[in-house]
Amino acid sequence: MSTPYALHPDKLYRKCDPAEFSFTTTEELDGPLEITGQQRALDAISFSVGMQHDGFNLFALGPNGAGKQTAIMHYLEDMAPLAGVPDDWCYVYNFEKPRHPEALRLPAGMACSLSAEMERLVEALFTVIPAAFSSEDYQAQEKVIRETFQEQQTAAIEELEKRAAENNIALIRTPAGFAFAPIKNGEVLKPDEFMLLKEAEREKIEKEIAALKNAMQSIMAQIPKWQREAQDKIKELNRLIAGFAVKPLFAEPGKSYSTIVQVTAYLERVENDIIEHFDRFLEKDSSTQELLPGLSVMKGNFFNRYKVNVLVDNSRSTGAPVIIEEKPACQNLIGDIEHLSQMGTLVTDFTLIKAGALHRANGGYLLIDARRLLLEPLAWEALKKALRTRQIRIESLAQLYSLVSTVSLDPEPIPLDVKVILLGERTLYYLLSSYDPDFSELFKVAADFEDDLHNTAESRLAYARIIAAIAKKDALCHFEKTAVARIVEHGSRISGDAVKLTAHMQSIADLVHEADYYTRRNNRRHVTAEDVQMAIDARTVRASRIRERIREATLRNTILIDTASEKTGQINGLAVYSPGGQSFGHPGRITARVSLGKGEVIDIEREVEMGGPIHSKGVLILSGFLAARFAIQQPLSLSASLVFEQSYSGVEGDSASSAELYALLSALSDTPIRQWFAVTGSVNQHGEVQAIGGVNEKIEGFFDLCAARGLDGKHGVLIPAANIDNLMLRAEVVDAVRAGVFAIWPVSHIDEGIEILTGLPAGEPDPEGIYPAETINGRVSTRVQEMALKLKKFNAESKGKAE
Amino acid sequence: MQHQENRNRETPPKPERYVIKSIAVGIDCSPHSMASLKAAAELAARMNAELIGIFVEDINLLRIADLPFSQEIRLYSAQPESMSTAELERLLRMQARQAETSLQHEAEIFRVHHTFNVRRGIVPREVIAAALEADLLVLGRSGRSPTCRKGLGSTARSALSGSTKNVMLMRTGFSAEHEAILVLFDGSEGSKAALRIALSLVRSGNTLHILILPQTENEKATLEKELSKLIPSGILRVEYHMLPSVTDSRIIARYIRMADSGLLVLSDHMNLPQETVHSLINEVDYPVLLVRNQSS
Repeated sequence: MSTPYALHPDKLYRKCDPAEFSFTTTEELDGPLEITGQQRALDAISFSVGMQHDGFNLFALGPNGAGKQTAIMHYLEDMAPLAGVPDDWCYVYNFEKPRHPEALRLPAGMACSLSAEMERLVEALFTVIPAAFSSEDYQAQEKVIRETFQEQQTAAIEELEKRAAENNIALIRTPAGFAFAPIKNGEVLKPDEFMLLKEAEREKIEKEIAALKNAMQSIMAQIPKWQREAQDKIKELNRLIAGFAVKPLFAEPGKSYSTIVQVTAYLERVENDIIEHFDRFLEKDSSTQELLPGLSVMKGNFFNRYKVNVLVDNSRSTGAPVIIEEKPACQNLIGDIEHLSQMGTLVTDFTLIKAGALHRANGGYLLIDARRLLLEPLAWEALKKALRTRQIRIESLAQLYSLVSTVSLDPEPIPLDVKVILLGERTLYYLLSSYDPDFSELFKVAADFEDDLHNTAESRLAYARIIAAIAKKDALCHFEKTAVARIVEHGSRISGDAVKLTAHMQSIADLVHEADYYTRRNNRRHVTAEDVQMAIDARTVRASRIRERIREATLRNTILIDTASEKTGQINGLAVYSPGGQSFGHPGRITARVSLGKGEVIDIEREVEMGGPIHSKGVLILSGFLAARFAIQQPLSLSASLVFEQSYSGVEGDSASSAELYALLSALSDTPIRQWFAVTGSVNQHGEVQAIGGVNEKIEGFFDLCAARGLDGKHGVLIPAANIDNLMLRAEVVDAVRAGVFAIWPVSHIDEGIEILTGLPAGEPDPEGIYPAETINGRVSTRVQEMALKLKKFNAESKGKAE
Repeated sequence: MQHQENRNRETPPKPERYVIKSIAVGIDCSPHSMASLKAAAELAARMNAELIGIFVEDINLLRIADLPFSQEIRLYSAQPESMSTAELERLLRMQARQAETSLQHEAEIFRVHHTFNVRRGIVPREVIAAALEADLLVLGRSGRSPTCRKGLGSTARSALSGSTKNVMLMRTGFSAEHEAILVLFDGSEGSKAALRIALSLVRSGNTLHILILPQTENEKATLEKELSKLIPSGILRVEYHMLPSVTDSRIIARYIRMADSGLLVLSDHMNLPQETVHSLINEVDYPVLLVRNQSS
């Protein structure tokens, strides 16, 4: 197998040529922010927005900062104005069932005018009604009714009094009622005078008085009836006068809303209620003179019933509403019924009904962050219920959970027609799909945003446009094309792929802002590539504390990493650390030891439960490779142990499996490995080296250590050949390679790698399957045979002794 | 009726001060008597007079209770109940205490000196007797009458016919202090005395209505001239209502109702017959002050 060549410096970094940009600075780029490379997601958005059927709500999934919201808003900004402006909604008092406020639907912009009109009307009633009831005409009519009643009563009693007088009997008012008594010369007969009368006379008087008493009783029985009649007449008169005063005030609003049947009916009910309660409008002055403020509020509450609680006002809307709910708590979504504290109790009425985001977005679009939504208690269930029933029913959480036991309201539900767009990570989407049966019913469309874009001229120009848009929006310095090119290169580095650009626009926006900071500090008008580089470097430095500490420990030989000698069964692996979002690589020593055994490779990391399953899998794969290559003729009679030296926090991933295999081959062949190399790459059972992640960080990690110790031209890193396209290395690394003091070796097979690492050929088997003696494979094969024989001999001796 | 307003006439002499040193008021706790008490207290405060409250335990009631068949029909049940003298006396004492409390209350408000007098006997007779020393007797137009009549009650009627004192008959809904005053003037000494009292009672800002009753058409000018001497200029707002020559109390009552003023001040020593005056008082549903003697 031929040994691969070290990579040419040009392969280590894909430059973005500023010359490909036709602009000088981003100031020349105009136009809206275009989203590129997300065609699949954009098609899904377009489909969801266009579908009018139930359940075709949208879930935009992708990593945070991928520009999901921007893409959706960009689309909706074009689409929403084309849709019609939805109707206004308001709540009004329900005169028949006060606990169930009535929802009124009005054409856009009319709810507020109805509310203002009702305010004016009620204010006017405080003048009109008292005026009507203080008119001479009303006073006279009322007086007539009262006097008629009085006269009726007086006439009946006077007649009785007259009848009594004819018999010398007087009707006298006692402290508690009435009494009849015989009189003489205007005075009541004294008892002794009465007793002196003849018996017949006394009997006559008593009989007459008894008859008068009966008559008086029947008159008194009639009085309540007359009183009621008089009251009814006064009530009728009041209705007549109030109706006459109130009717003209309702003529104007009645005309304005004559085409809206629901409002006309409401106004009619208001008119009747005002006529019924006209007396309330006569008490305005007294209500303001309450001694206790709480009581005056309660009294004032009566007039709330004529208010209009405008829930949704679309008077200024130009199309369908697009609402972003930043805090999707249950009450912020479906609305709430607030309470006032009055005299130590909680009271509410329909004017305290508060609209939710669903009300505001009704007829349009509602964007919610899925994670925030799921974190709010009951909010997800409330949203699903609203979407499923296609109506917004406001329920007080406190009432639902009996946290308060005051009288509350049950407002009439409002029909819902909204497109809900959830934005969230992929994990959330897959979890909801798996565990919530309602989810797939209600969110039938997924807009899956890509993590990265193809590194094409089009996407590079899109980057430039995004930078221009950010600079314009946030009033930043505009970027020179060299700066844009540098950002494009960084975008490629973030994506970890030279042929891709990251779609994580938040990272790009952050870099744009940071670069602007250095431009201003350097008193430059436009952002240059140097400013961008300063921002990148500064960011790296800010996050470099742990990396620096590890490197320092290595340079002081606290962590043992050999980069100069040759050692058997020892190799430099490469690991990536990602504390706080910033990744960096660092070498780690891997060692292998072999002994006689039963053909097992002991992964010490796994034995002590510090190795993850993928790492263990990698070790088992390399065991498979060894067995397949060297244990065809005889059993693998060895025991090998592998370990990451000085690793205290666990190992995961299979990117070190090739390094482990090299260490094992070195130990088995008793051939030293050149420690000035570091290795990364996973391996399969055929010995092919496979791609790994974080290749740039790993190479830079080893380079930094070697550079700190002094590069002598031997140092280099073996990487999987499949990772060549991912290389976007730092300028220092590229320069060192160009200077010939550092090298990157692309390796496709384990045999290529072992040759570079040991300087010996790997060795090809002859037709009988025998490897040449002075090759690595030959040495391993011989060692394996020797060990098998030793074990066989040992077993035979043991058996003999036992017998 | 002709209306004229007092404007720029020659300065008349100051009216004579009519002195009322004590005011008796009959209290039976009826609404009209409460209005009387208030009016009496107002007047007493204005004139720095003593207020004498009179409560009479009706002997007729006590006699009824002693009769063998005595029963009363209760107001709120319309059922006949036996009457007991002890119970009746207890109730009368309670009413007397209520009357005294009301008197004290009004006296405190208006800061007037007051006394309270409880008597037992025939009510009109006792009231008139108790008011003998007073300069003015104030009564409700009707008391605790069974018929709720519009006209005068028996005590008020007795006070008109059986007393020589000045009598004020009040009714609910009026105040002696804050209302306009209407005075009947026919040039007689009695009407002049009434005018003097009216002038002393009317508050600045309130209107004094003068209903001029000429006996003949020719007398109108004379009466106007006399009035110009009696009415002080500038301070008061005075409205004159010249009536044609009439003697029918119902017609005069109609004019009074048209003027729709507050207290009606008149005398029964006018050119009109006394019966007409009494009949007029019975006719109008306004508070009335009947002036009978003059003081200076």
